[in-house]
Order: sequence, then C-alpha cells, then structure tokens
Amino acid sequence: MRNCKFEEIIDKYLFSRLTEDEKNTFEEHYFNCPSCFEKMVERDELVAAIKYKGQEIFKDEYVAEAAKGETWWEKVTSFLTPRQWTTVAVSAALIAVITFGVLPMLKPTSPQFYINDEAVRGSKITLISPVWESETVPSKFEWKKMGEDVDYKIYIYDNGNVVWDDTTKENFILLPEKIKKTFLSGEKYSWQVKAFSPEGSLISVSSRVQFKIHNPE
Amino acid sequence: MLVADDCKKLKNLTLPTPPSGYIMMATMGNSSEKIKLEEIFVKYKSIVSFRVKKSLGAFNPDSDDVANEIITNVVEKIKKGEFRGESSIGTFIYTITSRRIVDYIRQKSKVLKHVPEPSSYPDPQEQIEDQERAEMIAIAIKKLKPKYREVLYLYYYKDLSREEVAEKLGISPRRVSERVNYSQKLLKKLIKT
Repeated sequence: MRNCKFEEIIDKYLFSRLTEDEKNTFEEHYFNCPSCFEKMVERDELVAAIKYKGQEIFKDEYVAEAAKGETWWEKVTSFLTPRQWTTVAVSAALIAVITFGVLPMLKPTSPQFYINDEAVRGSKITLISPVWESETVPSKFEWKKMGEDVDYKIYIYDNGNVVWDDTTKENFILLPEKIKKTFLSGEKYSWQVKAFSPEGSLISVSSRVQFKIHNPE
Repeated sequence: MLVADDCKKLKNLTLPTPPSGYIMMATMGNSSEKIKLEEIFVKYKSIVSFRVKKSLGAFNPDSDDVANEIITNVVEKIKKGEFRGESSIGTFIYTITSRRIVDYIRQKSKVLKHVPEPSSYPDPQEQIEDQERAEMIAIAIKKLKPKYREVLYLYYYKDLSREEVAEKLGISPRRVSERVNYSQKLLKKLIKT
C-alpha cells in the first residue's frame, strides 16, 4: 500500500511539535484521509501505553542504561534542572559583574603612570631634604615614609648621570664619606627616590629635586 | 462497517439516531451525491472526538458533549442543504469542528473570569478501557526484539528527537522512522493474535 506523505508528521502532531499552520493543514487532512487517521489513532494508543506503562515495559532498557553509567558531565547536569541551572548561571554572572565591574569602581585606586617606560602605581614620594641649596655636602637624605616593608632606592645625579645609588628600607639614607668627597663646590646635583614592593614592582617615584653645594668639605 | 465500540458510543448520542438505510440527498453544484448519515456517524464521530480531545484535553469532561454537539450540527446542516459540495465532506466537518472548538474555548475563557474551572477527571469506564488497551500494548512491546524496543524507549518514552535517537544508536534518522513504523506493524499483528 502506498504511504501518504502526511504520515511522516503524525508523531509531530501528537507531540504538538507542528506550527499552527502545519497543525491546521494536517487536521484538515486527517478528516479526509481515513488511512492517516487510523495510523494516528494506533500511534496515539502506542504512545499512551508507553507513557503509562513505560517503566514496566522498559525495565531491561533501564538496567542497560544504568549499567552504561552516566558520564561525569551527565551527572553534573542532571544534578539540577535546566531552569535551576539558568538561575545559577544568571546569579554567577551578576556576582562576577558586581565583583569585577562595580566594586573596583567604588574602591579608590592607586594612579597608574609611566616614567621612562616603567609602569608605576601609587602616589609620588615626597622628598624632605635636601631640597634646594646646601652649604656643605648633605650627609642625610630624607623622604616621607610610604608604609611598612617598602624598599627605597635613592639615586644622585650629576648632569643626568647617576653618580651614586643605594637601597634601604628606612625613609632616609646616610651618604658614605668617600662619596661625599667626590661632590664639587658650586655644582648642581639632583636626587630622586623610587619605592618598590617586596615583590620588586615599582610602586612610587619621587620627583627629581636639585640641590647646590656652596662649600664642600 | 460499525464496530462494537462505535455502536456503544453512538447510543450515547443525544440526537435521534437516523433510521438504518436513511439516505440524504444533497445537492452539490450541478451533480447530486447520496450521503448516508449513518456513514457520517460511523466515520466522523471518532475523528471529531479525537480532534476535540486533542484540543480540549483528553480528560476534559465536556469533550464528549462537544463532539456529540458537532455531529448533531453537521447532520442538521446537511439536512438543511448547507453542504453544497464546494469542499469535501471531510473539510466541511473539519470546519464545523474547528469553529465549535474555538467557540468552546472562548466561552470557557469568559466563564473562567468569574468562577473557578471544575476539576477535570477521566471517565472511569473509559479509563478502564484505556488501561486494558495499554496493558495489551505493553505485553506486545515486551515481545519485540531489543532493537525495536530501544527505539520505542528512546523516541517515545525518553522523548528524544529522531535525530537524537539516531545519534545514540549510530543509525540514520530515516532508519529510526523505519524501525518505529515497523514496530507499529509488529505490534498490530501481536495484538490481533
């Protein structure tokens, strides 16, 4: 017997998977096609029986499926319903937006700037002394303390060239005698302090301040 | 031919059953065709009922009344000569059925604004018949070969699509349809024997 082309969509009709137009067309069709109607009733009875008695009918299939075991992904996904998973995903997205998007905007952040291609975060260091002219070569270079566990590196320049540098954890440093002797009268020098975190990243840089020596020892 | 089940359902109809052999003459354009009202009862009562139950819900207590009302309406319209053969008789009945279903849903929606809907319940008699039928089908399915049972299991019980079943079993979607159709034929044979 030749099959009717509409037979293919019987299941879709029974499971309400047709569009409104397709549904209307098929309904009109089975009012005119006894063969399709007969097959649809048989199929409907079969589906109803399977839905009603499925657990009992497919006992073997259940066992076989359980023996195969679920994959870890199936176990994870079956832990919650799709609706619950959606809620979890939306909540996680919201938390992420608040944590990484909103909170950093509320928290005051250290300024970021670049000096000689070096990325610097944090505020500038304020230098205390010497800051302008000095009668003698200064022994002590002092600046404002930035916090605990900060490494400071001091540089002394002569015409832009580093003539001496050293590192300390204090907010001052004493100039060694042998270095003091190299300073010349009437010459202008400049100094600068850089602060580093314990991990070694540059966190702050002072401005370069000039000082002039009138009468070196 | 009238089957026992149809006869039983026909007795429940509220309209007077037409006498056996009653022939209605309906004019259809230039030609005339004899329409047996008995045939309309037998052939279309089950189709109308199916369509009504699909739209209103299988356990809707009003389904049978609505279906009977539609058949009565169809007969009256034919008697009045309203069926003029511009379409097939099937399409004529389909149109009346669809309109009545839309009216029912519209009425129900209005009523629901004021009173709660009565709880739906299945006809106990019908439920027993359905259960017996389901039992017979279940026994027959158990007798099928595993390759047919697994297709029915995945397709109808687990509600997977044809493509998903095909992927799971490593066969083509067309093969899935063939197995479902063949299972149906086998079940028909098994239930008859």
